[in-house]
Amino acid sequence: MLAVTNIHKAFGTNEVLRGVDIMVEKGDVVVLLGASGSGKTTLLRCINFLELADQGHIRVGGIDIAFRDARKKDIHAIRRKISFVFQNYNLFNNKTALENVTEGLIIGRGMPKSQAVRIGKACLDKVGLANKFDSYPGQLSGGQQQRVGIARAVAVNPEVILFDEPTSALDPELIGEVLDVMKRLATEGTTMLIVTHEMSFARDVATKVVFMDEGNVVESGRPKEIFVKPKERRTRQFLQRFLGDSDYAI
Amino acid sequence: MNLDYDFMLETLWLALPGILVTFEIALVASAAAVPVGLVLGIIRARRVPLLSQLARVYISFIRGTPLILQIFLVYNSFPSILAVVFARLGVEYNIFNLNPVVYAFIVFSISETAVLAEVFRAAITTVDKSQLEAAYSVGMTAFQGYRRIVIPQAMSAALPSLCNSITDLIKATSLAFTMSVMEITAIAKKQGAMKLSFIEAYLDIFLLYCILIFTVEKVLKILEKRARAYQQA
Ligand SMILES: Nc1ncnc2c1ncn2[C@@H]1O[C@H](COP(=O)(O)OP(=O)(O)O)[C@@H](O)[C@H]1O
Ligand SMILES: [Mg+2]
Repeated sequence: MLAVTNIHKAFGTNEVLRGVDIMVEKGDVVVLLGASGSGKTTLLRCINFLELADQGHIRVGGIDIAFRDARKKDIHAIRRKISFVFQNYNLFNNKTALENVTEGLIIGRGMPKSQAVRIGKACLDKVGLANKFDSYPGQLSGGQQQRVGIARAVAVNPEVILFDEPTSALDPELIGEVLDVMKRLATEGTTMLIVTHEMSFARDVATKVVFMDEGNVVESGRPKEIFVKPKERRTRQFLQRFLGDSDYAI
Repeated sequence: MNLDYDFMLETLWLALPGILVTFEIALVASAAAVPVGLVLGIIRARRVPLLSQLARVYISFIRGTPLILQIFLVYNSFPSILAVVFARLGVEYNIFNLNPVVYAFIVFSISETAVLAEVFRAAITTVDKSQLEAAYSVGMTAFQGYRRIVIPQAMSAALPSLCNSITDLIKATSLAFTMSVMEITAIAKKQGAMKLSFIEAYLDIFLLYCILIFTVEKVLKILEKRARAYQQA
């Protein structure tokens, strides 16, 4: 489904990704954990070619190419197979909620408007925003904006959706509504690669947890393995910081 | 001071059609400057290699020199240049019969383009690059992202400066009298010279521009309000 191998990325002399491999099978919910600055955002951005990786290989939906060899049309083809949910929502400010969702269908994929509107409304309905079709981003709460962001990412029917800390910019009372939507997507078998610090979400929903530190994957496995008996010292330290000792086991 | 009110009224009446010429120049210049300025603004904002540097030289050159100098340069050099070009092409046309308003079109288009290029460059940089990234993430190309997302947002950010620059342009067209274009200023000046009543003639010009600019500003404000409707939220 999505396989990234040996990805390297440096900003100047700062080596942010040092040979990361990541594999997301169809229907997988992979949660990517790691301290701030460990390179999680950079990894997701490289996968979507929002940054150009220095080295490495990507395979997704029948495309199989080295990052450095990808030309404009390869990048465009890959982006059509992967959608992105941003930490700060990044909704199109000049478009209504519905237009935000249909834009990628009508303009990006050349779908007839009536069909796009039907899909767009269904997607917004799915994230509980059937009454907000005509609202502009500025009229929506953070939680609502992020749900539009998720609807926008789902609508284009991608092979995999990348989430970069989708709840980090939200007020605590709004986090739940976004996580609920993501849980529902997981139950429906949506393939997702999620960066988050929501540990209980990771424990309950992930099919696989990957722990990153300083640009390397330190450890990965099923949530039970990672949360109950992490093998690596760095994983244990990270989890202790987030969960506290008492909360350690499931 | 004794003003000759009859003369003033008569001149006002005579100068009135000059408004049309003023509008004509402003319209032609804007029609050229909006699209070209937008392209240059995008080139500058995206720092397109080479083109961006060329655009910058052009913009600094135009904005860094007095308009009146540009007018003199174009008005005095273009006819000879065009005459040579026409001669080479074998076109039988006496360039010196050309309506001087054509030179006004050229000068004001050139200068307004430079002004708007900067307006648009600034406006585009106010649109966060994450807007374009979001467009990429749903499978849009850079061109589509600019057309559908970045430029519309930049345009509404640019509106106030755009309106200012258009009123500036209208005022600047009064300099076209130096190219013997018969717009408001030229007509009134000519009348004033005939009667040696310059004060009245200048007061007429003053009055006409006040009304003109006031009206244009009102109209632009209304348009601006409409265009910005989505940002009221
Ligand atoms: N565009 C950039 N330019 C320079 N350095 C960057 C850029 N983006 C990220 N970095 C650096 O890369 C490192 C990893 O950042 P990031 O991928 O955002 O980590 P995370 O998402 O895990 O917190 C940080 O040291 C950050 O400063
Ligand atoms: Mg991050």
